[in-house]
Amino acid sequence: MIEFQDVTFVHQNGVKALDGVTLKIESGETVALVGENGAGKTTLVKHVTGLLKPASGRVLVDGQDTKATSTARLSRKVGVAFQNPDHQLFSESVEEEMSFALRNFGFPPEVVRNRVAWGLELFGLEEYRKSSPLVLSGGEKKRLTLACILAWDPDVVILDEPTVGQDSLQKERLAGTIKLLKSAEKTVVVVSHDIEFLWPIQPRVVVMKAGKVVGDGPAPRIMQDEALLASARVAQPQLVEFHRSLSSKPLEPFADALEARRWVEGAFRP
Amino acid sequence: MMWLSGGFVFRRGDSVYHRLDPRVKLLISALMFVTTLLVRSVYELLIVIAFMVAVAAVATVLRRVGRTMALTASFSAIIFLINLAFTRNLESSFLYAIRFVAIVVSTSLFFITTSPDELEQVMKTFRLPRDVVFAFVTAVRFIPVMMLDTIQIMDAQKSRGLELEKGNVFRRVRNMIPVLIPLVVNSVVRSGELAEAMESRAYGAVPRPTSLVQYRASFRDRAVAVAAVAIFAVAAYSFYYVLPVQFP
Amino acid sequence: MKLTNILDIEGLTFRYPEAPKEAVSHFDLHVPEGEIVVLAGPSGCGKSTLLRTVNGLIPHMYSGDYSGEVKVAGASVKGTDMRDLSQRVGFLFQNPENQIFMFTVERDVAFGLENIGVPREEMRGRVDEALRLLGIASLAQRAPHELSDGQKQRVALAGVLAMRPRLVILDEPTSLLDPKTAGDLVALVAGLRKELGTTFVVVEHRIDLLVKVADRLVVMSEGKKVLEGTPRDVLFGEEAESYGVATPSVTKLQKMLAHDGLATGGALLSPAELARELEERQR
Repeated sequence: MIEFQDVTFVHQNGVKALDGVTLKIESGETVALVGENGAGKTTLVKHVTGLLKPASGRVLVDGQDTKATSTARLSRKVGVAFQNPDHQLFSESVEEEMSFALRNFGFPPEVVRNRVAWGLELFGLEEYRKSSPLVLSGGEKKRLTLACILAWDPDVVILDEPTVGQDSLQKERLAGTIKLLKSAEKTVVVVSHDIEFLWPIQPRVVVMKAGKVVGDGPAPRIMQDEALLASARVAQPQLVEFHRSLSSKPLEPFADALEARRWVEGAFRP
Repeated sequence: MMWLSGGFVFRRGDSVYHRLDPRVKLLISALMFVTTLLVRSVYELLIVIAFMVAVAAVATVLRRVGRTMALTASFSAIIFLINLAFTRNLESSFLYAIRFVAIVVSTSLFFITTSPDELEQVMKTFRLPRDVVFAFVTAVRFIPVMMLDTIQIMDAQKSRGLELEKGNVFRRVRNMIPVLIPLVVNSVVRSGELAEAMESRAYGAVPRPTSLVQYRASFRDRAVAVAAVAIFAVAAYSFYYVLPVQFP
Repeated sequence: MKLTNILDIEGLTFRYPEAPKEAVSHFDLHVPEGEIVVLAGPSGCGKSTLLRTVNGLIPHMYSGDYSGEVKVAGASVKGTDMRDLSQRVGFLFQNPENQIFMFTVERDVAFGLENIGVPREEMRGRVDEALRLLGIASLAQRAPHELSDGQKQRVALAGVLAMRPRLVILDEPTSLLDPKTAGDLVALVAGLRKELGTTFVVVEHRIDLLVKVADRLVVMSEGKKVLEGTPRDVLFGEEAESYGVATPSVTKLQKMLAHDGLATGGALLSPAELARELEERQR
């Protein structure tokens, strides 16, 4: 469980990046963190693993105050995949890259071997086992960074803008991975602008604006709250907009195009 | 050495001094610098420093200059002790120590009131080749960007269990590898992208590129320059021909 | 082929030195002046390479096996130097950070003009005009690190437009922006096309942002052109999704409903338009 208790954080330049954030994420939840650039999403994420410490308030991970422990310890529980893979790939081979964290966390060699093999298979990277991570394409690099994190089996997985620069096939695969994590009862936090990507996942949505949490609830409720979305400069999913525009409609907006089609078939078929 | 960089980083200001032609600011700093070398006694040096403080006040950077002076003073204490140990001369050791402070302040006054943009203009007046000037400009322009890169890389690697502060000296140096490699790779990628953008915007197309802004010394700039030279002349003359005021 | 084409690519094939495969292969494209053309396709399909052959980075900066012809306003790119090309073709790169060089916005906008030796008085006018077109006149004296990502991208585009190109290439210009800021940029591009008649060739994954303003959608795969047509025709076809082209969810729905005979497949509809159409048909 992750808990933010009235957390405030001020950057060196005096900008208040977090302003009294109180937020509780239970284990097994899938949460989307949305808001415009500069709203404080990444700053919030960095507090979970103690990369940043609150100026006031507390951040608790499984009951432990992040101020009282180290990033290395917290990372064992919480895996964060940052936006830019080029900010972390450094090893001679893909295999080595995946082993890095596992060795840091002190896993025995045979476990390292097994986990690496598992990750390479899951993400379709086996053919690159011996290649340099730098020769991979953008999409492959992104998958590799995710594999690196899942390899140590953290309880919480945080993805920072996972869809940036990804084409639709890669996004589909990513959505599949998130479903897989969900079914494995992992806590998943996705920081993303990509509302169309988030909507079919139907996560709990936390909306941030100027360092504050301004909205928090299930996706259908938040995504139908137009005043909230407009003030936080968050786009509305197209299917929600479609639902809104219908004069007679079902209670809940459609989660995907197929669901919408089924309803239209029933309602409009002469 | 962080304190030193703090004493030399430009921050936007709107004082009369900031608005001076950058070449005049360079002239004033250079003259103050030379004067500190001409003085023969601590008393004279204190007069020069008082003058610098006055300039800092006009430039509304008193607090920053004060901080630089305080920080430099701690360093010059070491100079004082070393000097004293070798020369066993209290006054000359003291003079050396304070002179160091004065030198730092005179240079710092130029850098903290001159924008990188103006620096570029100064370099151009010295007819440095465009490539050299441009290399300087991009280097300064990308310092904050690279610092941000470094933080992001360190965060990413710490999130993978890297403990930078763990182990002995050798281990710590080795711990930096996962940070340094992505930093180098990113810089290479960045320079590639920069080169493409430069090429696309015709960098180097004509041997003598034009410039949007031109710094033309105004009447005030020229007056200040003349006054600076005059004050320097008086100071240099009195330090040579007037009896040195001795340290009491 | 019409004489009014601003861009003609004919049988273009390009292979980087020592690369096993051609990055662009037997590619043809003809773009009439004033169009907005979107280029889509999976990562690594050769879009970036193609763009670089249009503004001359290939072959002037990167050499390789080059055959076929790229012509901008009738002039061969291969036979034109970068000085002239920089005034015919503007290029906005993905990362705004890496295309801003100077310490103030107005100096950066002037960068290209300084490089080609435009006299100061004329330059002043062109810089001010570019700042005005992009609505950033108030930022003229700012330093790059004081700008948001959206503002940086506008500054970079102003620097491109100050050169007064007739053709502008945008290489994933919105991928680092949030959706609202990205939408603003796209609206700006549509406005510029109207005001200046500039032609835009855009590489973009977020098709949903562009379907309303684009005249044409071209899909590339493995260096080849595989689909070309109006956004409606391409997105309604069977193949688009298999090439990784992100069909907006409302378009997906419209397509299925058109297939079922419940909606028309005439033009691409926005969510509100689709709802209205369904209800009107029922009456």
